[in-house]
Amino acid sequence: MRKALLIALLLAPSAAIPVVMSLAADVTPASEMPATGSIGKTEGLAAWKRVEAVLTHPRCANCHVGPDNIPIWTVAGEKKSRPHGMNIHAGESRIGAETIACSTCHMTSTAPNKLAHAPPHVGLDWQLAPVDFVWYGKSGAEICAQLKDPQRNGGRDATGLVEHLRHDADVNGFIPWAWNPGGGRETPPGTFEDHVKDVAMWGAAGQPCPE
Amino acid sequence: MIELTVNGEKRQTDVSPDMPLLWVLRDEFGITGPKYGCGIAQCGACTVHINGVAVRSCQARIGELGGAKVLTIEGLGAQSLHAVQRAWIDHQVPQCGYCQTGQIMQAAALLDKTPKPTDEDIDMAMSGNLCRCGTYVRIRAAIHAAAEKL
Repeated sequence: MRKALLIALLLAPSAAIPVVMSLAADVTPASEMPATGSIGKTEGLAAWKRVEAVLTHPRCANCHVGPDNIPIWTVAGEKKSRPHGMNIHAGESRIGAETIACSTCHMTSTAPNKLAHAPPHVGLDWQLAPVDFVWYGKSGAEICAQLKDPQRNGGRDATGLVEHLRHDADVNGFIPWAWNPGGGRETPPGTFEDHVKDVAMWGAAGQPCPE
Repeated sequence: MIELTVNGEKRQTDVSPDMPLLWVLRDEFGITGPKYGCGIAQCGACTVHINGVAVRSCQARIGELGGAKVLTIEGLGAQSLHAVQRAWIDHQVPQCGYCQTGQIMQAAALLDKTPKPTDEDIDMAMSGNLCRCGTYVRIRAAIHAAAEKL
């Protein structure tokens, strides 16, 4: 469950990752959380809107798909998303174990993603996020409700979500990769550090969700 | 120096760690069964097994394969032909043949995991292996036939 949540963000150039990692080593999640109650609801909702813009971006949502287990592609240079080419079906295993493993093409590697149209790779084994964490095609309000629910977010409180982001950066995982995907792929708005800050602010405001 | 096992034999190489396994196999070790097709994991011609999993060798960096066990088409049939290879002959699957070593390695990996695959299983597992000659119907038939023999 926890491992699978590491796919919180999918589908981004690599020179930034070492910077992220060095920052991660100096910061503890608890210390970067604003004090509970120090962020008002209005500010918290504004932070959520920025988080939502990241989570619904193709780099992040394309592997947070539902029980059909079919990852989504948004090809570099295109806006329209479509089912992953090559008839890919990740199966109930969510790693393609039943027929063709994600790792057949998506290596586990910390090397930069340089080749256009080549399958991207990160420092973790490629996989879909758990089916409970579906984001693709969901509204911001639905994603918000899922993300604040420990039953559907890997058992995390607000600090735990920030810790998850930092841990993922430590292992060259999917989340920082979203802002450094290589191959001409588009990136979500802002930076990884902006995203961590916004998740922390949203958490300190009591994780308010849009109506 | 990077050490790995290829077709049961210990091999060493001191090439750049960025070099794709496919280049090492073909240019360093003289193992030319895996073919270069696209170089970006879009065709499947370079498929080999790494630690039992079908992998596009054009995407695997040799520097990250220390200690790995690599199996190529040469190793698959080294002792006696694999059931997939026999079925390929029985069904006369190949036309030009260029993609066929990748097709066979992918099919063998499928049967390792799914001994009695359905048509749908085969289509899902084999759709990343392109054949410009259009041998797909014979590929599917041969995989079913191999499954019966295993």
